[in-house]
Amino acid sequence: MKQTCRVLFLPDNRFVAVPCGETILQAAMDADVHVNASCGGSGSCGKCRVVIEEGEVEREPNLKLAEGDIARGYALACQTKVLSDLKVTIPLESRIGDRRIFERKEPEPAQGHLLSAADWEERLPEWKLDPPTRKVHLVLSEPTLDDNASDAERIKRGLAIEAGMREVVIDYPVLQRVPNIIRQSDWDVTITVLDSGQGLRAVRIEQGDTTRQQSAIAIDVGTTTISAELIDLENGQILSRASDYNAQVAFGEDVITRIIYATRGTGLAKLQSVVVGTIWNLIKNLVEQAGIEYCNITHLVIAGNTTMTHLLLGLNPKYIREEPYIPSATFFPWMKSSDVGLRIAPGVYIYAIPSVASYVGGDITAGILASGVFNSDKLTLYIDIGTNGEMVLGNKEWLLSCSCSAGPAFEGGGVKNGMRATGGAIEQVRINPIDYEPMIITVGRRKPIGICGSGLIDSLSEMFLTGIINEKGKINLDLPTDRVRASEGGAEYVLVWADDSATRRNIVITEVDIDNLMRAKAAVYAGIEILLSSMDMDVSMIDELLIAGAFGRYLEVDKAIAIGLLPDIGYDKIKFVGNGSLLGAHLSAVSREMTDKVNKIAHQMTYLELSMNPNFMDHYMSALFFPHTNLDDFPSVKERLEEYRAAQKMAAEMPPEKREVG
Amino acid sequence: MAFNLPTETAKGKVREVELGAGGKAKKEGGENCLPFHLWEGQMPNRPMVAAEVSDEVGEFPAALEKALGDVKNDPVAWAKKAVGEWGADAVFLLLTSTDPKATDAPPEQAADTVIKVEEAIDVPLIVYGTEDLEKDAELMKVVATKAEGKNLVMGPAKEENFKRIGAPAIGYKQTVVGMTPIDVNLAKQLNILLTNLGMEADKLIIDPTTGALGYGLEYTYSVMERLKIAALMQNDSMTQMPLLGNVGFQAWKTKEAKSSQEEYPEWGDPEKRGIMWETITALALLLAGADILVLRHPESIRLTKKLIDDLCAVGV
Repeated sequence: MKQTCRVLFLPDNRFVAVPCGETILQAAMDADVHVNASCGGSGSCGKCRVVIEEGEVEREPNLKLAEGDIARGYALACQTKVLSDLKVTIPLESRIGDRRIFERKEPEPAQGHLLSAADWEERLPEWKLDPPTRKVHLVLSEPTLDDNASDAERIKRGLAIEAGMREVVIDYPVLQRVPNIIRQSDWDVTITVLDSGQGLRAVRIEQGDTTRQQSAIAIDVGTTTISAELIDLENGQILSRASDYNAQVAFGEDVITRIIYATRGTGLAKLQSVVVGTIWNLIKNLVEQAGIEYCNITHLVIAGNTTMTHLLLGLNPKYIREEPYIPSATFFPWMKSSDVGLRIAPGVYIYAIPSVASYVGGDITAGILASGVFNSDKLTLYIDIGTNGEMVLGNKEWLLSCSCSAGPAFEGGGVKNGMRATGGAIEQVRINPIDYEPMIITVGRRKPIGICGSGLIDSLSEMFLTGIINEKGKINLDLPTDRVRASEGGAEYVLVWADDSATRRNIVITEVDIDNLMRAKAAVYAGIEILLSSMDMDVSMIDELLIAGAFGRYLEVDKAIAIGLLPDIGYDKIKFVGNGSLLGAHLSAVSREMTDKVNKIAHQMTYLELSMNPNFMDHYMSALFFPHTNLDDFPSVKERLEEYRAAQKMAAEMPPEKREVG
Repeated sequence: MAFNLPTETAKGKVREVELGAGGKAKKEGGENCLPFHLWEGQMPNRPMVAAEVSDEVGEFPAALEKALGDVKNDPVAWAKKAVGEWGADAVFLLLTSTDPKATDAPPEQAADTVIKVEEAIDVPLIVYGTEDLEKDAELMKVVATKAEGKNLVMGPAKEENFKRIGAPAIGYKQTVVGMTPIDVNLAKQLNILLTNLGMEADKLIIDPTTGALGYGLEYTYSVMERLKIAALMQNDSMTQMPLLGNVGFQAWKTKEAKSSQEEYPEWGDPEKRGIMWETITALALLLAGADILVLRHPESIRLTKKLIDDLCAVGV
């Protein structure tokens, strides 16, 4: 056997040399070629399908690959060793998906409404533009033998007189630059002062008057996606926006896999540098779009879940995962951005929105700030659905939060043909109740590759209402359609036949998929019930239901209610927040008042650990049913079911030639 | 001022279910108070004691062998004796012969036994398979067909085979016992599935799975109690079915009930021990809210009926 083998990855057209015997997945990692792999290389997810075009390999037997696939050259990248020089194609379904996700048109929700600027004014009346960093222009008097105060004292005196700022501490790197700059600029300088909440710091010195060139960046560091905004601090306007996948995705799709990676060897440093890389690219993009100078940026505010914040700040996340689930910190000081590896300009500081607990992070605190829940008289339920369903119940008097592990099902994980919401993902589904034929729409209106979260919820709801599945999620194989059928892995419904799909394989929803989704929705709903019942309240008392997060935006409320993911409250009570985390980071970046508030929110919010709750299992079991074991809690679903059954009965009684199908 | 006992009245009541047809029919359920809280409501039908009869028996513990004598191998005679001599309110026929892991008798043969037993007795008949999902479905289809109009109580229907047992029961007008593994929600869910299939809610009985004394009795106790509370206090329609406790089968499986004197001399008379184990399990379930108790030993049947008499008398 050769010592090193060369692997060519197509369509990226990228070569890499690896020791022979290495797996294709590792080779792809080394080549910086993306292959979907959500199980970390254990061979259990079956998503890292590649096609061996040329060369010798050694395959571990794996049930995730059908005989026919092997004959066509398919292999699982993580279960296949490189034995010679290879040519490997990454097929469509194994690619990360194009970045067009970020251009995916956000729909106006059909039910419920999106919070708008007018809403913010009502929700956050105290808001005003008063950023935590401020540039102060000073024209200082030249020192003389009579007035022989040091340069630093002269600056401090100027800040006190000009801006009323007292006891400003001057950062060491600023001090080093003071004597030269102050003289080069003929005593005309701009000092950037940071109010860290624990005193004022002069963080930068510039020549002349640069007060009008000041911007901040707000960043939502999501487990999957990172979004950022560049804000002009002179007027609070957003200058540019950018989003990208968190490059950490290559090291595991969920926070738990990332924590495990971080605790091995130099994993933490690696993950930190990778996320810093993604953020740096976004900042570059923001700056180029807006056509500003890097040195206009005076601070960054980031909001992320507790694990993402830990990884970005380089804090050990190990104990988040182990009982009793303790984060390194929930409150974070203003830090120099260069300390985390972001070298933007001298004296740029970064602030991370505080977390509440290991599984209720700064993204949620930020969302509660941005949505004004902390200011509201209304009893509000705020939900952010993703891999973890985080939720907060409360109003201006109190806030109670919890997090339930929904698993990756809503993001397409653990689902046979699940995928993220990228091009070719089925995002909307309708099923005809008479002949059970589906109607589907994909992201980018392309040939379907798989099904994303909103498509899965649509499918479930339609399958349930039309009676393809029963309340337990079991497929009715007696229906007069060949789309329902038994297969090796249990019963399934064929949403797209192979001929119509981009992968040339059937796109199906299996009973196993349905079980996984059912568990995910049950965990979320049980969490909602626990929050309510621990305050001795019930669903009918909720005045407002706020849905945050990217996933929420594409959610069709009636579908989510039909499967019992969301409580059956009137659509008019349901509102979409959008990216609450980014909004909260934005507000904190432009207002000291809001930074204070977000700290208070994090301090005041009570966290309920569901794994300790003796009633969780009971609520969970009763939610493992469509829509719920207590159907009376879902009156609108009950009504719709009756309508569907009546329509089906009418059709069944009609002679076939008169039936209108489609 | 005279002392008035505080009372708590229920919002709902358990459905009255008819077991058997014609002159043999008996009603069960219908209570609108917690078990034996007769100062708070009524139990129009006293809890029922059904004698377990099997169509094929291997070896029984000595105490049971002695009590059964020669009827052990004759289900018809056994059933007649249970009703005539022991005073059982119903017969619970366990079709052991159909077990695919043992004799695997064909459904038709077992169904013939069902008919013979049914014809020999003048009380309702409950027919149980061996909890083999596939076999039970085949078996109950034949039983339901052959016994059309007799309103047998058939079971156990489980989540995995409820359709195949429920459909013939609907078609041939039988009553069904739904069985779920010791969980309030699962019991309720199965009732929803069965009623959605087209079963009338008053043709359903809940078997929440029984654990004998020392072998999980407390789980069954709390599940039965919670089902009864949901039915009465929360007026939860899908829990308002009578509850069945399959006591004999479980109680006589325990080491305490079946071990001989030689094995455990310090445990005392094995006959008394076995009877007490069965009766005490039954008593606990009566207090938890069981409406139908399935027992094996004639003395347990007598004692349990006496307990029911006494509890009903105390209440008034």
